Amino acid sequence: MKFRSLAIAGLFAVSASVAVPLLAEGDPAAGKNKTAMCAGCHGIPGFRTAYPEIYQVPKLGGQNPGYIVAALKAYKTGARNHATMKAIASSLTEQDMADLAAYYADASK
Amino acid sequence: MNKLLIAIIAGAGFATAGDAVAADAAAGKEKSQLCAACHGPDGNSPMMPEYPKLAGQPADYLEKALRDYKKGARKNPMMMPTAQGLSKQDIKDLAAYYASLKGDLKVKY
Repeated sequence: MKFRSLAIAGLFAVSASVAVPLLAEGDPAAGKNKTAMCAGCHGIPGFRTAYPEIYQVPKLGGQNPGYIVAALKAYKTGARNHATMKAIASSLTEQDMADLAAYYADASK
Repeated sequence: MNKLLIAIIAGAGFATAGDAVAADAAAGKEKSQLCAACHGPDGNSPMMPEYPKLAGQPADYLEKALRDYKKGARKNPMMMPTAQGLSKQDIKDLAAYYASLKGDLKVKY
């Protein structure tokens, strides 16, 4: 009986750690200082990538911060295929990603 | 005879030009129910932290994203099967529709 409650408690602990991954808390002020590699393309209205296909780069201002982090991670792992973004995302830590996401998510400035 | 030949050539030329399908935002709205379930009915209120806002994103970027999901160049367990069901025309229409919506997204330096 004791073992059973211990096992249940263990299961809860496992599911809690799965459900709540450790997310870095983003700091918009820190993010503002990390945009050097982003602004040359994403900071220019109507800017188009030239390689490998020509299309306008996505707007980042006001975007869902969780999505920005997910997109950067996908570039880093290669789940999302873009040479320039892979190189940039690979140079970012999880904290950098969270900070950049917090900075861009605020569309009020 | 000459007239017939000209008509055939003109017809062939038209069919080739027509291969680059024209986007129809109104038709895109009709096709957007499945998208709205996750990205929000206004394309600006995603249901999960890691889902993006779409409203106001450039149409050519949205097309590129859907084409990449469809061919597997962009890997995502939700979007890959969803994009599989879309024709070239569907992709053009949906991209035009979401690009036409006003939301939070903006170019931020």
